[in-house]
Amino acid sequence: MADLAPTEITALAAILGELDYYQLFHLRYDAKPSDIKRAYHATSRVFHPDSNRHHQPEIRRAIDEISKRISEAYSILRNPRRRTAYDQQITAKAGVRMQLAEAEAAGSRKQTEAREGRTPQGRQYFNLASANLRQGDFDSAVRNLQTAVAFEPDNAFFKEQLAQARKKWDAKRP
Amino acid sequence: MPERAIGIDLGTSNSCVAIREGDTTTVLANTYGERTTASVVFFQEGGSISVGNAARAGLIHDPIRTIASAKRLMGRFYGSEEVKKAQAICSYKIAEGDSHGVVIEIGDEQFTVPEISAMILREMKTVAETQIGESISKAVITVPAYFNDNQRQATKDAGRIAGLEVLRILNEPTAAALAYGFGKGLNQKVAVWDLGGGTFDISILEIGDDVFEVLATCGDTFLGGDDFDDRVIDLLADEFLSKHNIRLRNDPFAFEKLKVAAEGAKRALSTEDDVEIRIPDVIAGPDGQPLSIERTLTTGEYAKLVHDLIQRTFVVCDAALAQAGEVARDLDGVILVGGPTRLPLIRDAVSQYFQQELKSDVDPDEVVAIGAAIFATSLVNPTSDDAFLLDVTPLSLRIGVAGGLAESIIERNTPVPIEQTRRFTTFKDYQESVDIRVYQGESRNAQENELLGQFMFSGFEKARRGEVSIDITFEINVDGIVEVKAKDVSTGEQASTRITLSAGLSEGDIESIIQSQRTDRVASTLSQPTQGGRPAHTDEALAPDQALQPVEGAKPKTKSVKSKPTLMGDDLLPESDDLLEREGLEDVKLTPAAIDPTPGGKITAVDEDLTITAPTLDEPDAKELEEELFERPGTDLEGPGDDETKA
Repeated sequence: MADLAPTEITALAAILGELDYYQLFHLRYDAKPSDIKRAYHATSRVFHPDSNRHHQPEIRRAIDEISKRISEAYSILRNPRRRTAYDQQITAKAGVRMQLAEAEAAGSRKQTEAREGRTPQGRQYFNLASANLRQGDFDSAVRNLQTAVAFEPDNAFFKEQLAQARKKWDAKRP
Repeated sequence: MPERAIGIDLGTSNSCVAIREGDTTTVLANTYGERTTASVVFFQEGGSISVGNAARAGLIHDPIRTIASAKRLMGRFYGSEEVKKAQAICSYKIAEGDSHGVVIEIGDEQFTVPEISAMILREMKTVAETQIGESISKAVITVPAYFNDNQRQATKDAGRIAGLEVLRILNEPTAAALAYGFGKGLNQKVAVWDLGGGTFDISILEIGDDVFEVLATCGDTFLGGDDFDDRVIDLLADEFLSKHNIRLRNDPFAFEKLKVAAEGAKRALSTEDDVEIRIPDVIAGPDGQPLSIERTLTTGEYAKLVHDLIQRTFVVCDAALAQAGEVARDLDGVILVGGPTRLPLIRDAVSQYFQQELKSDVDPDEVVAIGAAIFATSLVNPTSDDAFLLDVTPLSLRIGVAGGLAESIIERNTPVPIEQTRRFTTFKDYQESVDIRVYQGESRNAQENELLGQFMFSGFEKARRGEVSIDITFEINVDGIVEVKAKDVSTGEQASTRITLSAGLSEGDIESIIQSQRTDRVASTLSQPTQGGRPAHTDEALAPDQALQPVEGAKPKTKSVKSKPTLMGDDLLPESDDLLEREGLEDVKLTPAAIDPTPGGKITAVDEDLTITAPTLDEPDAKELEEELFERPGTDLEGPGDDETKA
C-alpha cells in the first residue's frame, strides 16, 4: 500500500475539477484499453478508501471524492461508445466531467445519426430510398441514396447502402 | 499487537466465521466442533432463545417458534412476492410490521428480521471469541452480490444490533474469489458460481497481481438450496396425498419432518447414487395409527426434479458473461460456492456449461468466510501485499420520472464507489416541493423495480415551471449502500439522506433494540465446558437463568455497545455530523406512501411533480434527449458491457 501524505491527497482533491479523465489516470489521449485498465488498477490502489482508512475523517472525505471520480473515469473510458462522446466533449473544451447517462445518451444518439442521417434532407432521401427498396424499385432507390449521400458525404452507412442498391440494380438489369 | 477482525458468512441455512492471523486463515468451529453453525433461532416457551445447532431441534419440536431462512426476508416489503414465497415454506408466522415491513411473530412478541439475524451474528461473534479467548468487535459481513440497498442496509443494521462494527458489507462471490486467489500472484479470469441456501450469484472476476476486479455480477435472490429441497418435499407430499389423502404441507410438524428429510436426501445424494428416505410416524392417520414414509430416491429422479432450477442459473450466467464481455471457455476457471454445489449433478452441469474443469481446492461451505476474514484483516492492518478489491454495483440505480418510468442514473456493473449528479426542474408553476423516488432494478417501468425510498425536497424558491433547477446526487459507497442528496442550484439549499427502506429500521428503532437487550436472551451454548467433546445439549442448558451468563474469556458484548454509542452512530451514518453543520439542511422525511397496502399490491409511482430536462444542453438538444428518454423503450437497458461485447 502506497502511503500518501495528507497534503498530496488534499492537493489532488482540490484540482479534481480541472483534470480530465486521462490526466487523472496519467494517460495519453490515444491510450489503449489495456493501458486504461492498468491505470485504473494503479490509481485505485493508491486512492481507494480501503487503502486510506488510517487517515483523519477530513482526508478520508477527500479520498472518497477522488475514488468516486476514478470509478466515473473508468466507466467512461473503458466503454468505446462513451469514450468517443467524452473525447468530443473535451476537444470542444466543454468540461472535464461527463455523467454516465449523458455519455450513454450521446453515444446512442451518434449511432442513430449514423444510421438515419443527421441532416433533415439526408434523412428524407434515405427514407424514400428505404421505401423504394422495399418495393423493389432499385432505380429510384439508387437515385434517392445518391441524393442522401450528396447531403451527407461522410455518412458511411448511406454509402454502404448505396453500393448495395447499385449491386442489386445491376443484377436486375437485363 | 495487530488489531483483530473476523469475517462472517451470514448464510440462509448456515453461517461460518473465520479469522486471519499471520499467514493463516482459520475457520473457527463452534463448541460442537462444527465449522458451520445453523442459521436457526429457537424461541423457547420459557422466554430464552437458542441459536445455531442448539436451535435446530426446535425445527421439529416447535416449528412455529423456530426461525430458519430469515435471510430470505431481509430488507423485504410485506406483500412482496419474496415474502409470500417464504410464508408458503416457513412454519413460523410472518406478519406485517410498521410501514409495510416484515416482522416475525413469536407468541405475543414481534421481532424484526435484522434482530433475528443479529442473534445469529452474535452467536458467530461468540464462537470466535471463545476460540481465540478475547473480545472481538470488528467484522466483515458477507451478502449475496445481488442484494439490493435495502437488504445490505438491513444486514448492516443486524451487525450493529449484534454489537459489531461492520467494517464492510462484502459480496459473497468476491470473498470466495479472494479466498481462492489471494497471495498466489495469479493472472486469471474466473467465474464464481455461488448457490447458497436461498440465493444464487454469479460473478466474473479478473485477478491480476492481487487486484481483484469484478467485471460483472448477476444473480437471483430467490433461488437456492431451499428450492431444491422444496421439490423433494413436493414429491413426498404429493405421493402421500394420493396414497393416504392427507395433506402433509398443512401440518407444521409433518412439514418440518419433510424438510429435514429433503435436506438429508440432498446431502446423501452428494456422495451416493441413491438414498433411502424414511420418515417414521410422519403424521397420525384418521384412526390415530401412525403413518410413515419410506421411499428410495435415485440421482436420476432427483436430477429431473431440479433440472429447471439448474437451468435457471445458466440464464443468469449468460447475462453476467455478456455484461463482462467474456466467453465461458476463455475463462481460466470456475469456483463453486455453497453446500448444494457438492451435488455431482450440479458440478457436472456447471462444468459442462462453462466448458471448464472446476476449481476443487476450495471448500464450498467455508470459502466465503475465509475470504471475508482475509479482507477484514487487510482493512484493520494494511500491509503492502494486501489483496485489493474493485467491486461493482449489481443493480441499476434509477429515479422515477414522469409517466411512471424510472430513468437509469448509475447502470448495473458500474464500479463503486461512484457518484452521479443529474439536474431536474419543476413541472408546474410555483411548485413547492418535488417528490424524489429512488429505485433499483433493470426495468424502465418504475413499478417493476425495487423502491428504495422516497423523499420530498422543498423550500426552494417559488418560480414558474422549469425555472427551478435541482441537482440530485446519487452515491453508492463501497458497501453498495446508496445515499441521495438534493440541492437547489440557485440557493445552494441542500437535503441529504441515506436512502432508507420505508419499512426498514430507523436510527431510533436500532437504538431502542440495543437498549432493550432483547437479544441478550440468547442462551449461549458456549458457556458450557468444551472439554470432553460435545457439551450437554439439554433443556437445562438453555434455561432462562443461564441465558444471561457472560461468556468466559470474553467481555460482555453489550457493554461495549452501550459505552460507545457515538462510535456506533458514526458507523451507521457517516458524515452525519458534517451534514448537520451545513447550512440550510432540510430534515428529510421518508414516507411509505408509495406502497399499495392491498395484498399483492405493487409499488406505485406517481411522478407528476417531477419532469426531466437537461438544462446543461442547449434547447433543441434537451428536447431530443427528452424524446429519447420517453420514446425509446429499452435504450438504457443496454449495459456498458453490451457494447464491449459487440465491439
